[in-house]
Amino acid sequence: MTENVPVAPATTPEQAKASAAQIIRDLDTTSGYWAAVWTICCLPDAHVICDAPIGCFNLVGTAVPDYTDAIPHIENLTPSVMREQEVTMLGTAGAVRRAVDGLRAIHPDRQMIVVSTAESEMISSDHGDWLGKLDPPVSFYWSRSLEDDEWVGRDRVLLWLWKNFGQGGVKDQPVLSRAVNIIGPTYGCFNSPADLHEIKRLIAGAGGVVNLVYPYEAALKDTPRLSESAVNVVLHREYGDGLAQELGKPFLHAPVGIRETTDFIRELGKLLGAGDQAEAFIEREKKTTLQPIWDLWRGPQGDWFSTTEFAVVAGRTYADGLVTFLGDELGMKLVFATGHPIKPGEMDNIAVRNFLHKRQPGFVFGSINEKIYLAEAGARATHFIPAGFPIPIVRRALGTPFMGYSGAVYIAQEMVNRFYETVFNYLPIDTVKPAGGGTGGPPGPAAADTGTLIWSDAARAALEARVEGIPWLSRISAMRDARTQVEAYALRQHINQVTPEVVQRAIA
Amino acid sequence: MSEMTKSIPAENPSSNHQGLSAPSDLGLTPQTMCPAFGSLRVLTRIDGLQTAMVTDAGCLYGLSFVTHFYAGRKSISAPVLGTKELMAGNIAEAAIAACAEAAKAPGTKLVAALSLCVAETAGLTEEMLPVQINGVDVVLIRVPAYAIHTHPEAKDIAINALLKKYVAPARKTDATGVEAPLSREGPDLRHQVILMGEVFPVDPLSVDMVLKKMGASLASNLPSRNLDDYRIAGKVGAIAALHPFYTRSVATLRAAGVPIVSGAPIGADGSYGWIKGIGNALKLDPARVEEVASEEREKCRAIIQANRIEGKVHICGYEGNELGYARLLVEAGAQALYVSTSIEKSLYTAADEAWLKAHGTVEVVYRKTLEQDIRALDKHKPDLVLGTTPLSAEAKLRGIPSMYYTNQLSTRPLFLSAGLAGTISLIKDALSRAPRYAWMREFFTGENDASDALNAKPVINTMD
Repeated sequence: MTENVPVAPATTPEQAKASAAQIIRDLDTTSGYWAAVWTICCLPDAHVICDAPIGCFNLVGTAVPDYTDAIPHIENLTPSVMREQEVTMLGTAGAVRRAVDGLRAIHPDRQMIVVSTAESEMISSDHGDWLGKLDPPVSFYWSRSLEDDEWVGRDRVLLWLWKNFGQGGVKDQPVLSRAVNIIGPTYGCFNSPADLHEIKRLIAGAGGVVNLVYPYEAALKDTPRLSESAVNVVLHREYGDGLAQELGKPFLHAPVGIRETTDFIRELGKLLGAGDQAEAFIEREKKTTLQPIWDLWRGPQGDWFSTTEFAVVAGRTYADGLVTFLGDELGMKLVFATGHPIKPGEMDNIAVRNFLHKRQPGFVFGSINEKIYLAEAGARATHFIPAGFPIPIVRRALGTPFMGYSGAVYIAQEMVNRFYETVFNYLPIDTVKPAGGGTGGPPGPAAADTGTLIWSDAARAALEARVEGIPWLSRISAMRDARTQVEAYALRQHINQVTPEVVQRAIA
Repeated sequence: MSEMTKSIPAENPSSNHQGLSAPSDLGLTPQTMCPAFGSLRVLTRIDGLQTAMVTDAGCLYGLSFVTHFYAGRKSISAPVLGTKELMAGNIAEAAIAACAEAAKAPGTKLVAALSLCVAETAGLTEEMLPVQINGVDVVLIRVPAYAIHTHPEAKDIAINALLKKYVAPARKTDATGVEAPLSREGPDLRHQVILMGEVFPVDPLSVDMVLKKMGASLASNLPSRNLDDYRIAGKVGAIAALHPFYTRSVATLRAAGVPIVSGAPIGADGSYGWIKGIGNALKLDPARVEEVASEEREKCRAIIQANRIEGKVHICGYEGNELGYARLLVEAGAQALYVSTSIEKSLYTAADEAWLKAHGTVEVVYRKTLEQDIRALDKHKPDLVLGTTPLSAEAKLRGIPSMYYTNQLSTRPLFLSAGLAGTISLIKDALSRAPRYAWMREFFTGENDASDALNAKPVINTMD
């Protein structure tokens, strides 16, 4: 039950020189170690000992999942607590042994799994051999924390769980003809409770019976039951295909948007031999769950979509899904999209940051990084919608999916409500002033006075240029504000001819 | 890199138990935020300072997450550091490249390069970094979690790194050994005090008002957003090290000849003693100091008298300022049988510990673990737990009112008479919420204590 520790490839001096340091900003994707903890610890009868300094334990087990998953802390995770003496002299075996013994006393029923971390890999702390000789043996997982990102990491640890705790325990029992497993989510998957809820609803609608949600709603001892299903659904494109392929059953990816969802239900129905039921479900959904999209499309709100720009930075499933749904289906204008794991040609964070500093689309779906970049740019007319980690957020309500028909409606609804918010923020307010008291500022231009101002064509063009970067819906009021500002300035300066220079000075 | 471990390691001497019963001293889970975050919290909030982090992806992700959430909304640069990069041995080049990227931000005065576990293990040292990159100063902050055990200590390391950079060494003395007077030019800082320690923003104002009554004033509060505040730290009349863990910073300032006053103006006795200490350090008029200190003590006593609390409170944070807080609650009438903190016992914790032990505290635990804190729940059966996240969750699971120490207690003023009422009322209020905690517990777990807290009167402990 151990992993072979890969030997790091030797690097020649020439290669070392060639690999100039690659620089990143505001890392958005974590490591194989986090993936291992966030996957294995979903299983309540497993207990992970991370071979880690206290920081790697605290961040993964408490400080971050407090704010990604809204849980107080991961209860079945304990550190070996690597200190200076372990790093420089002793090695970590003694510290791991202490944790194993202590935990066995407290949790005799749990399967202990020791997981390596970046620091333990740095000092080559491989405990597989001796842990396997303990009675009962303790498993060791080399998390490749220095090589793999969280997506490769999740894929790999899911496969490891199956090989070590699944396939050996499979009993001779027939595959259940309507049974469907869902592979994913784990901890740290944005918005997953709502997505999972929706996918379960779609599976039932297509005639399936949800068998095992692995690892999120399973126990380690359930792992052999992964073999029972007729079809597997992989919740996120970022990971899970490895396990699905190994299981050898047909598998589908969870859908985002109207078309993908329709195809998903239809295909699943066919695979389960429930084609008619699936078709009937689609028809019913159009008149119930999905009806709001048709109504919004025909109403005044529908027109806003095609005149509004959006950008996405999110996990691969959400990035591709939002591009398909908002861009292809609703006709919004895509400014840029970056998914994680990143594909060649997509912008990294340094490029995204530079882009958003220059230009801000009306809607940005993203993480706290994009939110920071928009704040740095002073973007006030852009709606930021959280769509991926890292960001502190509670996403535990079941009614906020991005996936499936419910997801399409939820996203459209969120966006229309943001439009309403924009309208509210830009409507003129009749400020209530105290009786007899002024505001103390310069008098606003009266309509009669400003009527005598003469605008040159160049000045008008200069004014229009000022508002070019602002999303359309906010442009009317931005233009009005800018014009008022110029005219007030002209009046104060006793200028009756507005030139580009006057505009420049007024809005400096 | 060390040899791989192949043989079964000997059992740890501290785990010499047999069978499945946990040893009574079992402590597996030290309680602290990732230590390095303490430094990030101090550094990312400084205007004109940009951060470069030299570490692996998992560490970088986690620390960026918490930094962006509640330290500073500031972009963080870093080199990609995986096996390939670490094996290639160009850790210094990677760190320098990240610093160069960080230094690009307009208005950057200083780049802080944070060296974390894998960078330290890979051998990044101060000598490898230039003093300046593209005209911007660079300072290396070394905070590997395996060597720096707690989050408060990493705050001290960050502050100390800045002090070392900006504070001149000891004052010059003439041939007869007489110290040259401080700051001949500019405003006279000798009657000014710098507070060292994170405090609620109103607290420095209260301190300043009291200082002014004695002819002194407050210069600033470290950690500060302004680098200039670090520059003047070596020139003020006294540094008030409010929390006991600023040992490195205190040593640096002491070497620069600045008088240090330890402790904080919390509660009646605490405020009195602190004001007297400041008066001494600044050589203020003793009669006036005594007058102000006594007046403040009386005000505190009056407020405490009007806001009595009753109940057993466990104070179990990891911030390093738990002892002072416990003193206040004891003065206000609470029993603090158990107080625990993540920092280690030192000269600077001695006074508070002695005071607490003289006032009924049974256990003061340093470098505590979650397991110790949980055993204390069984032992002392508190009515309120001010704890770390996991401890608070455990307390609530048992239906005991509880709050996360870090978040709740830092959102109120605390110092002098002005800070008392808000803090005491927070605790009083929490104690009165016991029935809600019991109701939630019963609803979600079906469990209910025989004492039936659901029907208990609001304050359930009568101290008899």
